[in-house]
Amino acid sequence: MKRFFLILILIISNNIFSILEIEIIKGSDNLSKIAFVPFAVNEGLELSQGENLAKLIESNMLLFGEFENLDKAEMLAFPSLEEDFFYRDWKIQGVDFSVIGKINSVNILGNLNISYTLFNINRRIKVLEGEIIGSENNIDGIAKIISNRIYEKITGLKGIFDTKLAYVINSDSDTYQMCISDIDGKNERILFTSKSPIMSPDWSPDRKKIAYVSFENGIAEIFIQDLKTGERDSIQALGMTNSAPVWSPNGKSLALVVSFSGNPDIFLYSIASKSLSRLTNHYAIDTEPSWSPDSKKIIFTSDRSGSPQLYEINTSSKRQKRLTRDGTYNARGRYFPDGKSIFFVHGNNGNFQIATKKLSSRFIQTLTSTSLDESPTISPNGNVIIYATKKGSKGYLGGITLNGKSRFSLPVKNGSVREPAWSPLVNK
Amino acid sequence: MEPIGIFILAMLCQVYSCAANVSDSVEQMSYASVAGEEYLQGDAVEVGLDDKVYFDFDKASLDAEDKMLLEQYLPFIKKAKVVRLEGHCDERGTREYNLALGERRALEVRDFLIVKGIKGKKIRVVSFGEEKPIKNSSNEMSWAENRRVEISLY
Repeated sequence: MKRFFLILILIISNNIFSILEIEIIKGSDNLSKIAFVPFAVNEGLELSQGENLAKLIESNMLLFGEFENLDKAEMLAFPSLEEDFFYRDWKIQGVDFSVIGKINSVNILGNLNISYTLFNINRRIKVLEGEIIGSENNIDGIAKIISNRIYEKITGLKGIFDTKLAYVINSDSDTYQMCISDIDGKNERILFTSKSPIMSPDWSPDRKKIAYVSFENGIAEIFIQDLKTGERDSIQALGMTNSAPVWSPNGKSLALVVSFSGNPDIFLYSIASKSLSRLTNHYAIDTEPSWSPDSKKIIFTSDRSGSPQLYEINTSSKRQKRLTRDGTYNARGRYFPDGKSIFFVHGNNGNFQIATKKLSSRFIQTLTSTSLDESPTISPNGNVIIYATKKGSKGYLGGITLNGKSRFSLPVKNGSVREPAWSPLVNK
Repeated sequence: MEPIGIFILAMLCQVYSCAANVSDSVEQMSYASVAGEEYLQGDAVEVGLDDKVYFDFDKASLDAEDKMLLEQYLPFIKKAKVVRLEGHCDERGTREYNLALGERRALEVRDFLIVKGIKGKKIRVVSFGEEKPIKNSSNEMSWAENRRVEISLY
């Protein structure tokens, strides 16, 4: 019996272990301290359920190195109701915000009613109060919703704890895997495994599909995979190289690159009619398209000036404009969610780093300090960038928050991880 | 053939290959496509020559040494059914741009072969960008080895 129990634990914990795990390298410049008080529970529930929920919220909030926590052992009190909450207990510990709450069992089916409150200790006011009903089987999901609300209240930015990441893993045995996981690395799913390279994953705006490039048939082909059914469809673009697919904001078309006869240009592909229409026509390399949030423009890389630089094209007037001039390598640009700035890979003295630039200014700001950084992707709230980089011969993911300049990494246990793609927010 | 004849032939081939770059559909079938890669099922022909030509960073031009190697290939290529040119890049810079760059390197080799009288129809061009490096370490020596076009005959 004891042995059986042990095996059971191993099976369960195997599922919990994730391939990617975020490690904070450097916290934000001005870390706020938050106390996550274990939630109280009513009769019929375990004390550990309340502790677990507070822990889950805490690990979400600490995920990107933007906050620090007050250790449970240092807490002077464990209030769960507003009337038992005293600001001085937290002020004395240097706490900026406190989260308290209570879990009430609603019925025997495992439905829970969870109330939570957020206090701003410095201003001595209650800043957020909420209630949520959910199943005890979905305690992770409940914790994410509460974390999002707390994060929004404290930072003024949309919470991103229920977003996902797509990425490609290249294991040592030369196997390529298209994977997705929760943004904290949990619940990893392998969508597709191949002996040939996989590239350029991109989420559909409804988060139901992923487009990517696979070499499984000997050349670069674009596939769309449905996440629910697992079904894969190849886009019959029929060029010698078909690459860099990106979904339009309305999900009805893809911008992609087709090289019919050795000249890669940007095309629009309509999902409904399965037809291609040409966007750029230049003998230079045109590639790496990405849509502006209002879908009126597409940014792309072209070496028409002699080195890779960023351009944008108006999708209706087809007017083009050069966006970067400083440096000999500016490529794979993406717009910020507000459409006012771009981020991209900037080559400088043999180093390739992630950089940003306001569209209204010429000034390029470098964000990273390693030398082989690429494939940056931004959180839907515009505050966190995850990118691929390399240490030794292993590829791993690095991250940076733009507000607080915290840094973190997402190492992978086996093989190399590359080409992160951040999912959109869930459609409400 | 008179030297002038060879010259005219070479010029014609140049014009021919330029024309292919202008029109998208005319030459389409002579390039790699999903349907056209069945020859990969068979074994590549061993010719005992170095099967790679190398390039400078972000460049796709052939130097004298590369051209000499390709010249040695010509008799074997003439006998082969298919010549597959696989373009590759080093890891620096972005992946999708490198995919395009690898293609351009392979095309540079293709154009040289066409000028030398090889039929465009039997040349298959494919790029793997930076996805299939020979050396995985990040230094100038590995990068130089990874920036290549691999030639295989079927």
